[in-house]
Amino acid sequence: MDKTESKFAQKLDWSVYILFFIVVLGLPLLTDDVFWLNRISKYLVYGMLGLAIALSWGYAGILNLGQGLFFGLGAYMFAMSLKLKSYTSLQQGSAEPVPDFMVWNAEPGTPTELCCIVPGSWLWIPFQSQTFGMFMSILLPVFIAFIVASAIFRLRVSGVYVAIITLALVLLVRLLIIDAQPLTNGFNGLTDLGWLTLKGFEFDPYMVATYYLVAISCCIVMLLTRWLVSTRAGLILQSTRDDPNRSRYLGYDVASYQIFFFVVSAAIAGFSGMLYVIAAEFASPTFLDITFSISMVVWAAVGGRSSLIGAVIGALLINSIEAAVSESEIFKEAWKLIIGVIFILVVLLLPRGIAGVARDFAGWLESKSLKAKNSED
Amino acid sequence: MTNRRNFLKTSSAWGAAAALGPSLYTAPAAAASEIEVGVLFSLSGGLSMVEKSLADATLMAMDEINAAGGVNGMMIKPILEDGASDPKTYNEKASKLVIRDRVPTVFGSYTSASRKAVLPVFEKRNNMYFYPTYYEGYECSKNVVYTGAVPNQQLSNFIPWIFKNLNKKKFFIVGSNYVYPREMAKVCKILIEQNGGETVGDEYLELGHSEWGAMVSKIKNSGCDVVLSNVVGASVISFYREFKNQGLTHDKLPICATVTSELEVSAMGAEFAVGSYASYPYFQAIDTDANNAFIERYRKYVNDPAAVTHHALESSYFQVFLWKQAVEKAGEATPNAIREGIKGQVFDAPNGRVTIDPDNLHAYLTPRICQYKPDGQGTIVDEYPEPIQPLPYSAYGETSDNMFCKEGGLDTSKL
Amino acid sequence: MSNIFFIGLSLSSILLLIALGLSITYGAMGVINMAHGELVMIGAYTAVLSGIYLNLNLFFALPLAFLVSAAVGLLMERIIIRRLYGRIIDTLLATWGVAILLQQLIRLEFGLTFFGINIKGLGPGLQKMEVPLFLSENFDVLGVTVQPYRSFIILLTIGLALLTWYIMYRTSIGTQVRAIMRNPQMAAACGIDVKKVSAWTFAYGSGLAGVAGVLLAGFKAVVPTMGSSVVVDGFLVVVVGGVGSLLGTLLSAVVLGQINGFFAILTNDIVARAIVFGVVILIILLRPNGLFGFKSR
Repeated sequence: MDKTESKFAQKLDWSVYILFFIVVLGLPLLTDDVFWLNRISKYLVYGMLGLAIALSWGYAGILNLGQGLFFGLGAYMFAMSLKLKSYTSLQQGSAEPVPDFMVWNAEPGTPTELCCIVPGSWLWIPFQSQTFGMFMSILLPVFIAFIVASAIFRLRVSGVYVAIITLALVLLVRLLIIDAQPLTNGFNGLTDLGWLTLKGFEFDPYMVATYYLVAISCCIVMLLTRWLVSTRAGLILQSTRDDPNRSRYLGYDVASYQIFFFVVSAAIAGFSGMLYVIAAEFASPTFLDITFSISMVVWAAVGGRSSLIGAVIGALLINSIEAAVSESEIFKEAWKLIIGVIFILVVLLLPRGIAGVARDFAGWLESKSLKAKNSED
Repeated sequence: MTNRRNFLKTSSAWGAAAALGPSLYTAPAAAASEIEVGVLFSLSGGLSMVEKSLADATLMAMDEINAAGGVNGMMIKPILEDGASDPKTYNEKASKLVIRDRVPTVFGSYTSASRKAVLPVFEKRNNMYFYPTYYEGYECSKNVVYTGAVPNQQLSNFIPWIFKNLNKKKFFIVGSNYVYPREMAKVCKILIEQNGGETVGDEYLELGHSEWGAMVSKIKNSGCDVVLSNVVGASVISFYREFKNQGLTHDKLPICATVTSELEVSAMGAEFAVGSYASYPYFQAIDTDANNAFIERYRKYVNDPAAVTHHALESSYFQVFLWKQAVEKAGEATPNAIREGIKGQVFDAPNGRVTIDPDNLHAYLTPRICQYKPDGQGTIVDEYPEPIQPLPYSAYGETSDNMFCKEGGLDTSKL
Repeated sequence: MSNIFFIGLSLSSILLLIALGLSITYGAMGVINMAHGELVMIGAYTAVLSGIYLNLNLFFALPLAFLVSAAVGLLMERIIIRRLYGRIIDTLLATWGVAILLQQLIRLEFGLTFFGINIKGLGPGLQKMEVPLFLSENFDVLGVTVQPYRSFIILLTIGLALLTWYIMYRTSIGTQVRAIMRNPQMAAACGIDVKKVSAWTFAYGSGLAGVAGVLLAGFKAVVPTMGSSVVVDGFLVVVVGGVGSLLGTLLSAVVLGQINGFFAILTNDIVARAIVFGVVILIILLRPNGLFGFKSR
């Protein structure tokens, strides 16, 4: 939404946001079921991923088919710190924490020390600090996004080729993570993690406090992103999406805007990775599967690719229904079929997603009420 | 005007909340005469080929127990969940079974990756996991009952036998890239060295990978005289096929496998496995009345007269009976009671008499080796006279007198 | 050394097989068909089912799979893709939806699983296809061990590539397709029935996918998800080779296959694939139109 939209539309937008926050933050008051709350917090993370896609796709016109890369990197960075905090890591016969998988990947006879038990294990040493892990989970995705985006946008690669590069990139990194089994535990992923500890308080994933941690983070990210796109930079970004050449002629450095927003999108994804690990106690190479990355695009498309909150709601909706349906095996498979069909229909008929439908409906309402008002005069 | 706007917003918001709502809110509590248990295997994805059979065997055992009167008169009610061949999904489903459904026990897992993924759930919430699959050892959890073979029951017999009977000394170890094959390889290397042999290769391919041209070529050029395969799942099929397609034969360069069971052989086509070897405590070819009757019952249960049985399947079956005995001995179905009750339990399984070691909660099993025939079955070429004690840390020096994994937990000073 | 070359060649031929159909649909139609892998999968299942129910062997399964996949492709084109010409990203997304659809159809055995009916040869489990004996036995030629099945794939792929080249460059319909590739509006103005030609082109590309599926079934396990892993590889080959250039696709398949094979022997298959992806990224960055492409559409 940009400043040129009607005041009515802006008010509608803000109302939806406020209502969303009320519902999300008020959920724990409705139920005691921590298992269910934990699930919702995972979906809120997915919502943030949808939002990151909407930011880069809807606002910047950059379709990132490999968003899972930044999500996965963020997740792994923080999971590394949590792994070293787990009870098992201290049970390997060494004074410092050593991840269990390194021990079973080591050559027989190697001393159990974090610096040298497997080639490259010294990379783990700084992760003994939880804060380091938290910083890295945003910094590493940002760093990589910056390099990739600079290469792509300075070389004026555009359109579908950008999508293909992001796709190839996420696949590449996934293979590297899986291959480096002694370092990352490969296909098994990082499991058996400790809990996030802030000022002595431990965040058990199945606890209301953890839900609030995720929910509040999600709301803050939504607000910040919303603010970001309403700034002048956000407007210019949209112009680069609509017509990059004209923007260049007008003197804007298109590439810089694209790089900046691509990096912001990656930072959001990395941060969500960290939150996901807190809620799910798990980091896995499946985060870098293309199916998962493309699912994020599906959520954003269904929710509305140009609407940040639409993308969030799209993600929540699809995953909730999937969870409800997957209780029964047959329906779960049928649901995947239904999702496929819904997706096709959305692409064909509803390119602006649910948010688009809602806006159209609201617009229709407004015009009707304006007509009624005018005809009264 | 404001009313219509508000109506739109409110209704859409509540609609969203309703969709998010716990639609299947709380599962109805089990009737007083039922015990709910979890059954967690991959029913979809690349590993469903194997794991579905494990789920079937588990459910068959439960049906048999219920038909015979249940557990202390109470019927077993299984809650079946799909791990989808993905450790992450396994973790989610295990959390659901333990935290939301509050079952006292879950039976599940094939790959060690899935077991490692769910282990924290059972340890942190103090629940019980019955794990039927042979694995790499090096684990000691008081929340898991392990009814599959550990390396001292699968490799400690195999490798010396290969030296002695096949006269092979140069090993090429190949496996799928995750914890089980990696740790098994480590144990293999230790055993190979102890027996005076040489490891000329230690390679891995991604789980499910089906392009084996380069790897088989490497095997050919490595100068090995025997291949030790820890390859898992669908890759086994591509591997054996490529092996034959590149002109290698099992009489000159045999594949000795730890994860090629009757199931994989039937899926790949028996002609590719003829002459190769495998090591398990259980083979369908065990010719006892108990086993033959078991095979018949299983075939009837899955309605497939050509169904094959294999080690993990047999363990999935008998571990339910052991669990039943534990509950009956303890008098109640809670995790702590089940743990106490399972220690020392004995059951006459199709493979022989199984006892649960009270210290490490693993199973006494009889190591066997077979060679595959053209009909897809194995001829048992080596068999221990009686079950041996499970020692999950045998490769690190654990012996019956010096156990690393005891009731109090793992003694890390011994590592 | 020749072994490495042969493995690379074998990998190349499989890549080319997949990429050939994609090159046509992408190059000719400007459609990114993410369901191409599923069309391959359908070809493989056709082979499995025709083996079980019609007792047809590999050689009869090939044309049958071509027809089945072509038919499915035609259907896709008529119902969905037709409405998305010019919207390349949307075709990517919509065909991804179709891919999910096709996978689930096979998994759910066309809905019959709901009724508890299981068709042998369908469903989520593994299937296999029988390879005729004379193709699986190795034989020696001049002291070199020849692997017949892989060689068969290479020969058939070359044959199909030549056939495709012939159609595209030596027949009138091929000329029409190439005209549409360069400029669809102009082609329509010249009297070419763009809609019909596009539909048949798409069907042809899909048919090639079906043939690839049959050949893959000979050494890969046949599962509903077998398509997803091949479609990405195919795309990368097409994009690197250059959109719309058959020669580019061929050369890029050879190059990427050889790189893959070489590094697979040097390190392992996983790193080799990662390197191939890295090379692809570099090529797209430096030459977005691929090695032989031209700017069109």
